[in-house]
Amino acid sequence: MNPEFYPAGPAVLIERNVRTLVIADPHFGVEADLHRRGLHFQSGTASRLSRLLTIIEESDPDYLVVLGDLKHMIPYVTYQEKNEVPIVLKKIREKTEFRLAPGNHDTGLEKYLLKDELLPVNGAVIDGCGYMHGHTIPASELAGKLILCGHHHPVVNIYDEVGCSLRGTPGYLLAEIDNAAVDLPETPAATRVLLVPAFYELAGGMDVRLIPGNKISPLAKAIRTDTAEVFLKDGTYVDTWEDLTPDPEDT
Amino acid sequence: MTAAIEELRESLHPKIREALDKRGFDEFSEIQMRAVPKLIRGDNAILIAPTGTGKTESALLPIFHRMLTEPHPPGFTTLYITPLRSLNRDMMNRLEWWGKELGLRISVRHGDTTQNDRRKQATHPPDLLITTPESLQAMMMGKVLRKHLAGVRFIVIDEIHELAGSKRGAQLCVGLERIMELSGEVQRIGISATVGNPDVIGQFLCGKRPYTIVQVPVAKTLDLTVRFAGESFADQTKLIEKCIDSHTSTLVFTNTRSVAEAIGHALRERGDIDVHHGSLSREMRVDAEDRFRAGLTRGMISTSSMELGIDIGQIDHVVQFNSPREVARLIQRTGRAGHQLHATSKGTVLATGFDDCIESMVIVRKAMENEPENVRPHINASDVIANQIAALAVERGEIAIKKIEEIFSRSYCFADAGPLIREVIAQMEKHYLIRTESDMVITKARARRYLSQNLSMIADEKKSVVFDVVSRKPVGTLDESFVISWISSGAVFVARGQMWRVLDIDEDRIMVEPAKNAKGELPSWEGEQIPVPFTVAMEAGQLRRLHNFDGYHADERTVMFSEKILAEMKKNRSIVATDKVIVLEDADEGVVINLCGGHKVNEALGRVLSILLSARYGTAVGIETNAYRILLRLPKFLRAPDVDEVLCSLEPEHIEAILTLALKKTALYKWKLVQVAKKFGAIDADADYEKISINRLLDLFDGTVIEKEAFRELFFSNMDVEHARLVVQMIRDHGMETATSRLSIIGAEGLFTGRDVIVPPGEDQAIIASVKHRIDEQDIILACMHCKNWKSRTKVGRAPDTPQCPVCGARLIAVLKPYDEKMYLAMKKKNKSTEEREAEARMIRNANMVLSSGKKAIIALAGRGVGPEAAARILNTFATGDAFYREILKAERKFVQTHRFWSD
Repeated sequence: MNPEFYPAGPAVLIERNVRTLVIADPHFGVEADLHRRGLHFQSGTASRLSRLLTIIEESDPDYLVVLGDLKHMIPYVTYQEKNEVPIVLKKIREKTEFRLAPGNHDTGLEKYLLKDELLPVNGAVIDGCGYMHGHTIPASELAGKLILCGHHHPVVNIYDEVGCSLRGTPGYLLAEIDNAAVDLPETPAATRVLLVPAFYELAGGMDVRLIPGNKISPLAKAIRTDTAEVFLKDGTYVDTWEDLTPDPEDT
Repeated sequence: MTAAIEELRESLHPKIREALDKRGFDEFSEIQMRAVPKLIRGDNAILIAPTGTGKTESALLPIFHRMLTEPHPPGFTTLYITPLRSLNRDMMNRLEWWGKELGLRISVRHGDTTQNDRRKQATHPPDLLITTPESLQAMMMGKVLRKHLAGVRFIVIDEIHELAGSKRGAQLCVGLERIMELSGEVQRIGISATVGNPDVIGQFLCGKRPYTIVQVPVAKTLDLTVRFAGESFADQTKLIEKCIDSHTSTLVFTNTRSVAEAIGHALRERGDIDVHHGSLSREMRVDAEDRFRAGLTRGMISTSSMELGIDIGQIDHVVQFNSPREVARLIQRTGRAGHQLHATSKGTVLATGFDDCIESMVIVRKAMENEPENVRPHINASDVIANQIAALAVERGEIAIKKIEEIFSRSYCFADAGPLIREVIAQMEKHYLIRTESDMVITKARARRYLSQNLSMIADEKKSVVFDVVSRKPVGTLDESFVISWISSGAVFVARGQMWRVLDIDEDRIMVEPAKNAKGELPSWEGEQIPVPFTVAMEAGQLRRLHNFDGYHADERTVMFSEKILAEMKKNRSIVATDKVIVLEDADEGVVINLCGGHKVNEALGRVLSILLSARYGTAVGIETNAYRILLRLPKFLRAPDVDEVLCSLEPEHIEAILTLALKKTALYKWKLVQVAKKFGAIDADADYEKISINRLLDLFDGTVIEKEAFRELFFSNMDVEHARLVVQMIRDHGMETATSRLSIIGAEGLFTGRDVIVPPGEDQAIIASVKHRIDEQDIILACMHCKNWKSRTKVGRAPDTPQCPVCGARLIAVLKPYDEKMYLAMKKKNKSTEEREAEARMIRNANMVLSSGKKAIIALAGRGVGPEAAARILNTFATGDAFYREILKAERKFVQTHRFWSD
């Protein structure tokens, strides 16, 4: 397979027999929640959607897979989401087939989806790769596969001799996982995860240094750090996880 | 009694004359003689005179007269506005007696006023109301109080110089015009300390209306001396004691609360001194004031809290500990001494170091020659516009934009705001604070709540206490917007000149420990910083150059100490930075730029240099500044001449643009942006920022009027672009020379007043720097392809430029990855497998590349997944520097996107 990185998303296109465009955590409709929290901004749905549609046009995929958290509010659907989500889905469907690996924020979204669009919560295999949101244990059919997941909002901080020279830029973490830790059967080939950065541009994000072992998800706990590698959103290889220049205050 | 005095008395209402007799007033001060007739006539006026010469009475006697003689509608006839609640209370105590004598009802209204008193004021409005600008804003929200405001005939603004230079003042400016909408035109009187530009204060008060200035100069009554207080704190406190002992009552001013506390602690045992500053509870402060007034204490150690006219009785002597930094401040502070009509004000500045001595001399000379700084009002502050538009919308429900424009245009601070007002309205609409409909602004449900949270333009936000868990002591407080934009667990910041690492944040406390190793992004927090102006710093530079201390009112010891330091510089062959020379010195931590530019110029130039250096070399640059030097923390390979080269290549007209770029990523800018965004209603005072990247949220303000205002304020309050430009021009015209040297004793004197890290402007440089670092650290094996008998494991960074085999002397050296080691051993075999033969061909190709391109080939071949073919392509581009690494990155990205990498 060949991945192709679209830094403007961030998004990644996986090509094997078919072309699958993957994004994670777009959080459409987040502004209603921000409003409740005292941050008053106009809806960013239109600009977020047009960013997505541009990438779909550029990459011309057979499928778009959204790795969960397509909408934002838990546990109900806001007025903003009721208005905007159907439009978002309609525009996406006009361009390409669409699948959603449901995330913890996607409550109440089922009724807006078509029959085949919703993947199982524990993930599914499409064209040889596993896809899931990442907050649950993976389904056993994902064992031994490369699993793409969202949920973790990985970001990279780069430090140099004097200080932090780049803070919070979206990035990918690729690593093998310990099958037993997530109740997967042992497989000849290692099971790997690719943590995809959030499409939602206001996401706080989690430093990739802090993800392995974190209680944020069972997968994070199962990561084998000696195999982990870090990439930026355009596919630039940063370093192995173990050799990342540490935060100077932690040394 | 002279005829003039008699005439003045006769001009006043009989009740006032009676009261004057009761008080035994048989004399008027100069300011009273000159001001009263003009004010009775109804003139708008600015009154400027030394403290304690009856300024308040000079404004109020004529107003009392008119209140008693002229008919006036019901409501508050007179508003007396002061910047501080404590001044309000003090004023109330002084006016209560007058009120009783004259049969006028006088009352105070501010944040501390009880509900009961507020109700009384609403049902029976007092004739004279003492209040603050913020309470005035609150009053305009209420229907009943607005009715009372419609009766206003006279407005007095006390300590107007304190307000005129701040956003509070800009807000008050509009507030006055909003009162005019209710009451019609009124008489306006401002009471001010000495300033360099009284005319601007006049315009600030009156807009385009006529006004007169009545000024009695302060300087002729000042008697100032500079004394060197020694270098140890013990010596310094001893001298303070001496000063206290040789006078009956002494007021000691310090620049920060912590110094006030330290001196108070050292002298506590005497039992006759008290400490007074803004962090103490109101009871403790009032107690200290009472004891001093009653003569129970002889000394009061205080910060600016005692600067304004709170009456604490007779003061013989004012001591200023450390340079007061501003001329106006010294005049104001010293003016507290000699609280009677004709006495002179005696003051001593105790200086503690070289910079401090020289600077104190300059400020004392300027004070004695009456050269205070100018007050600079904020012009077209758009957050104030937003705040007052919201206030008008709430007040009226809906208001025509034309009307809004008219109200603003009458005020001095917004007279030419023009299209900015509509731009602000459009932005507020985006944050759902108001809406518009056919040229009307209409209030929205949120607006009233917004307004009650944003009555004040002071950044008096929620403060978080910073608590050091190691010493178990509070370190200080931080503003909330600073906390949300920068502070998270693990973050390091600077406060009180020290580095702190955040351990935990709860409701309103930030738990920290001293940071040892801090390198990260270091936002600094120096809430109490008073900047030294450019003119003062330049004259200090001139004094360093000329060594002529005549006319600087310093005692012999101060002059000797200053001479001694300059002589030592000469002995060490160090170059002294002056008003004509900038000296760049190499220190362990980086480069010290000695520049007598004052805080704001050094801050501006320091940031310009760091952004250029970080852009050119792809490194983060740490920066610390004070009035006389800039320390740039740089990687070891950058030295003074590199910085000098950048400094000398600066163009004056580029400064502002570079600075805008430089500031964008700083804590300071983001902190301002949050503050401004709050005033626009985009962010609530109590917003919840969890789970969101506040930095990315702030990107949403790119290109908006909110961003513009944050920059305007930074350039207005924190950076002196105009003089920074002048310095750069002087360097170009050789009016100022630069020199490089090793660290001198002056260069090494304390820094640490403002600190920050400038990050490279683009992500690109940061990424490339990080890739360089990764490749330098990459383990490789250098292996001879000629004798096949030598291999050596090393790191790319340590590999020689042209490696040579120590066994056979050949230069045919391949650079291999550690996992190639086994394959290399197979090269000695006579019979090789197909795979081994292919590997050999690859290695020879590899070695040939190293032979022809040297270190560059070694670097390229060390890239992730970069084989001989890819390396050849990289080398063929002939790219160098960052471009070379960019080619490597490209090749690595390509590898990452190929099947070999993802093999499954």
